[in-house]
Formats: sequence, C-alpha cells, structure tokens
Amino acid sequence: MLSTVNTRAPLRWLGKQLFNRDDPGAFFDPLLAALNPMWVRGFVPARLVEVTDEARDTRSFHLRPSPRWRGFNAGQHINVIVEADGVRHHRTFTIASTPRQWASDGTVTLTIKRLAGGRITNWMHDNLCGGEVMGVSQAFGDFNLPETDRPLLYIAGGSGITPVLSHLATLADRDVRAPVTLLYYVRSQADIIGAGVLYALAARWPALTLKIFKTEEEGEPALMNEAHLDSVTGLDARQIYLCGPKGLMTLAADVLNRAGVAESQIQTTFFSAPFAVAADTPLGGAVTFGKTDKTVESEGDAPLLEIAEAAELKPAYGCRMGICHQCSCRKNSGTVVNRLTGKASGPGEETIQLCISVPQGPVTVDL
Amino acid sequence: MKQLNEQQLNELAEDLDAIHDEVMADVGERDAKYIRRMIRLHRTLEVGGRAMMPFGFIPPVFAAAVGSLSIAKIIENMEIGHNVMHGQYDWMNDPSLHSQTYEWDTVCTGDSWRRTHNYEHHTFTNVIGKDRDYGYALLRLSDDNKWNPLHLFQFANYALLSVFFQWGVGLHELEFERVRRREIKLSEKAGLLKDFFRKGGRQAFKDYLFFPLLTFPVFPIVLAGNVSANLIRNLWSSSVIFCGHFTEDAETFTEASIENETRGHWYLRQLTGSSNFTGSKWVHILSGHLSHQIEHHVFPDIPAHRYREIAPRVEAICHKYGIKYNTGSFGRQYWTVLKRIGQFSLPDRVRTRLSAPAAA
Repeated sequence: MLSTVNTRAPLRWLGKQLFNRDDPGAFFDPLLAALNPMWVRGFVPARLVEVTDEARDTRSFHLRPSPRWRGFNAGQHINVIVEADGVRHHRTFTIASTPRQWASDGTVTLTIKRLAGGRITNWMHDNLCGGEVMGVSQAFGDFNLPETDRPLLYIAGGSGITPVLSHLATLADRDVRAPVTLLYYVRSQADIIGAGVLYALAARWPALTLKIFKTEEEGEPALMNEAHLDSVTGLDARQIYLCGPKGLMTLAADVLNRAGVAESQIQTTFFSAPFAVAADTPLGGAVTFGKTDKTVESEGDAPLLEIAEAAELKPAYGCRMGICHQCSCRKNSGTVVNRLTGKASGPGEETIQLCISVPQGPVTVDL
Repeated sequence: MKQLNEQQLNELAEDLDAIHDEVMADVGERDAKYIRRMIRLHRTLEVGGRAMMPFGFIPPVFAAAVGSLSIAKIIENMEIGHNVMHGQYDWMNDPSLHSQTYEWDTVCTGDSWRRTHNYEHHTFTNVIGKDRDYGYALLRLSDDNKWNPLHLFQFANYALLSVFFQWGVGLHELEFERVRRREIKLSEKAGLLKDFFRKGGRQAFKDYLFFPLLTFPVFPIVLAGNVSANLIRNLWSSSVIFCGHFTEDAETFTEASIENETRGHWYLRQLTGSSNFTGSKWVHILSGHLSHQIEHHVFPDIPAHRYREIAPRVEAICHKYGIKYNTGSFGRQYWTVLKRIGQFSLPDRVRTRLSAPAAA
C-alpha cells in the first residue's frame, strides 16, 4: 500500500494532510527500518550481498537493490547513500557489472578503490562486509555503448576501468564482431582491477585486444604515448572511450589529437571521485549556484551568503552569525570551511549554513 | 543586567565557544541514534494512540489512547520538531531532518516558526519591542510596557493563550497588535494568512474530521480524544515556554542596549534572559530539553539532549563571572511565572507597594 502513496494523487494529498510531508510514504520509515531495512520508502534500499577482494586497495561490493530500482545501461553510475558516524554520505560510483547480471540474479557490482584521504571509500572498505543495507539512486550518466556495432577503442586508467568492464562484458555477451581494443594503464600488476574478468573476456571473445601497461614497473614503457596507438588498426573508424584519472585523460586527448583523431570520435567520462581538498588549499574558489546555473569566483574568506548576494541571488537568511540556520542550504559538492570552528567539511552533498561557510576550492550550492 | 567589562565579555565568549566547539567536535553516532530513537518512539506512540482511540468507550483505553497521542505530539513538537528546525541535526545530512524543510505536527507553519522563533526570538531574546515572543504581544510582563486597565484581565488572556496555544503561535507572525494600530496593513500579511489557513485546516482536518469520520460509529469518542490530546500538548508546551523567559528574575533589554553588540554581550544577554527548571530525565525529554533554556539559548544548534551534560559547565562559567544561573524546580519556576503575570496586571503603583515588603 505504501508504494501507491507516492504515485496516486488522492492518496498523496491525504498523506500530506496526515503527515505534513511531501513524501508521506516515508513517515513510517523509522518503524519499518527497525523491522526490515529493505522496506523503507525514503530512498531505494539495496542489500550488500557480498564483498570480494579485487586488486590492491580495491574491493567489489555486490548489491541487490529493491525491486523499485529501475535498472541501468552499461557505463552508468549510481549514487550510494551510506551512513557513517551518524552522518549520511552520498558518493557516486560506476557500476562495473552488466545489465545482464542484474537481470539474471538482481545484483550489481561496484568496484571501489580506497582513495588516499577519502573518508567514505576507506570507511566502506573498513566497515562493510556484507549483509548491510544502504541506499542507491536510480542510474544516470551518458557513457553509453554505441547504438550500432562499430570498431571501438577504450583508453582507461586505474579505477576508471569500471564502466569499461561493464561495456566489454555487455559487448561480449552480444558477441559483437567489430574489433575492440582496450589500452589499460595501471601502476603495477597488483593494481589491475577486474583482471579475472578481463583475461576471461580476452580468452573467450576474439574481437577483444587487451593491452595492459604498467606505468611504474621496471623495464616497462611508462606513460601513454603514440607508440601505444600504432598497434590499433583502423584508428579513424573507431569510436573512442576515455575513462581515467585527470592526468591520463589530458595526456590521451593530447596524443589522440596529434594522431589526427577527430574530437567527435571521442567520448569521455570524467572519472574522478570527489576528494577532500588538502588542508593548505587557499580559501575561495569558483562557486556554482546549481539552480540558477551561475558561476562566480570568490577570494579569501568571503562566506557563501555574501558571495551569493554579490551574484544577485537572494537566499533566505537570518542572524548572519551562524545561530539561526535560516540560511541552511544544500551543498552539492566541494569543500567549505566553517568560519566559527575553522573545520573543513567533507566533499559530498550535505547541508551547510551559508553565512559561516567559506569555500575552499570549487563548490556547488543548490541555490 | 549584570555588567561586565569588554575584557570579561571577550573571556566569557571564549569560555562558551570552547564548550560549543568541544561538543560539536564530538557530535556523531550517539546523537543520531538518540534522535532516531525519539522518532521511533513518536511513531510508535502516534500509531498506538490512533489505533486505541476508537476503543475509547472503555475508560482505561481512552486514557491510554489520549496519553499516547498527547505524548506523541509533545515529543514531536518539543524534542523533534523544535530542535530539528534549529538545525541541531543538519549535520546528519538526512533530508527528513533538515532544519529548513521540516514541517511539524502543529498549526504554526515551519516557515513562520523559523522566522519568528529561530531568527527574531533567538537573535533579539528579551529585547522589548524586538522579541515579539516576550509576552506574545498579549501580556505585560515588565514595566517597559505602560500599564492600562485592560491588563487587569491578562490572567484570563494567559489562560486562553495556553488553551489555544497552537493557534496563537500559528497567528503570532500576523502581528495583530500592529495591524490594529494601523502600523501595517492586513494585506501585507495575506501570504502568511493563506499559509496559516492551509496548515491550520490540515491540522483540524486530520484530528477533528478525518480520524473521527474514519471511525464513524464512535466518532464522538475519537473527536473528544483528539481534542484532549491537542489540549494537553498546548497546556504543556505553553507552560514550558513560559518558564523559559518569564520567570521572576529573567531579565529584559532595551533596543539601545544591543546596538553594536559583541558576541560576548550576546552571550551575556542569553544567559540572563533565560531560565531553567529541574526534573527527571523524562521531564527534560518532554520539554524538548527547554528545561535547559539557558544552555539552549547560548547554543541553539547543539543537539538538545547534550544540554543536560554541559549544564554544570555553563553554570560554573556563570558563577565565575557572577552571573545569576536562574534555575529551580518546575513547580517553583512556574509559580514565579504566574506571579509575574499577576503582578504586572496591576498598575505599577499598586504592584510596587505589594511587592515591597516581600523584597525587604
């Protein structure tokens, strides 16, 4: 019955009258969560079925979302909602498994590497072992497979391999015949993510050419260069997918450009998990107001409230000294420093007080 | 008011800031668990109360149902709603506990409350003319307001305000006294009135129409039970709130005294304008920890269940600077509130003559 509350207008109206909230179905969540956390309505719950080791500092988290989850296309991401130390955190991860796996056993796999200084990836590695329930968003992202089969080239680095794993396994399931090449850059043998899947695919699927480059192992060629492209036949006809850390992306785009590849051939997913800024990062930065789609630069210790007002926005405010919370609003991403305590926030989505929050690096606010 | 020099005020601010920072650094899982437990308790009592109410033709069941529903409403308003809207749990990043969007189970809309209470009352606490919570523009509680003969009846006004407290709070922002004096036009308040009727209508629909009709054959019992639960909540919350600022020794301030106010001075005003009452753990919970009004006013965004823990330190700081830490049992504090309402209903000449022997 609760599932119809949010979809049927009269019930939704009644629910609003009775429970004073726009999501009346979630009113009973505190009780339902105590009985069975998979029954909550406030977000789409997913049970963590199993955690497996994948590579150095990398684990796969196998999730079974509730039936309300609508599925995904290979290469898409989801937001995961976990609660650590009483705080709800949202983080975006790419699904490494295939839609076919989800259709057959209802699970999706997130392959997650510990980020140096990353609060949530480390927390997940240290605290989750299977059985827990977390929240997931519907899938999003446009790192999609081409609609018709054509020759493909993937250039991936580090944990940027995750959407590529989903793509390749999906293509192999379809037994695509057009040539597919993967150039995969990792630091060393122990850092290869999805090694088992990749070698198995290469063995059973003749269209795939797999090349793994270890950038920090002795005797190996170092970073990506033109020579790596020489082995790729018919480069002009290929659709190219780039996914990896920023350094590799810039380098690869540069190398491809010099090789005469048209920009329209290249599809990029900017893969970089949000990370906490270093403590010595200067205050100020680019502030983006999401709702109005405005970006302004700020300098020094100007708080977001003043920055917003200077940008001619009119956010609600009250005391302007951090007491009344009238100006509390959602920060979508970026780090802010609390003027009163001097403490830096996390990088993810959370509520902040505009009047005492000073951006430290780029910040996006829901205004 | 107790006078402190500039340096003492700065030290006072530093001492209190230190407590604030220490507690906020420690806020986490324990506080999340606490508020979630309160929310579970609220849901259980509300569901239980509503489920029992139709069987209220059995007297003990009626008592249990009314008790359950009124405690549910009290916990939701005092310990959950009021505190969540102060931003005490914003750090949890849970959209259903977000200060700016929370909507509570009472007539006053969350938005109106956030403006009049969180901003006006907490910023201009007890400043006559600025803090409209002071006497709710209805009662005369200090000699800053000139006496007039109508004040003789203010005890009756107080009783009415307590009985219909949720409706009074809902209309607080209308500033009816200023509309009557033609300082503002009623049309300026059209938006507020629309919100008031929508939210008030919703609350009345739920308690006085929907649930009684749902249980039609026993509707008089359900209606009576729901009216009782709202009444109990109204009486309790108004009493708690009156004990917070209108006790005998709670001080008032003038607009001139807060010009260019420093943080230290603001703290001093919060400390001297508020008063606590003592009681068992459940008295604290049911008051939403406004039993620790002093701690609440210096740290409105610290999760309220922590006030009990930091109270001895705040009291010690008051002692250090010679500031009165106004506390006593609920009965004693409430008695001084009633006394104050009574005293200021009289002309100043009569009042000072009556109270002079007591003071001597």
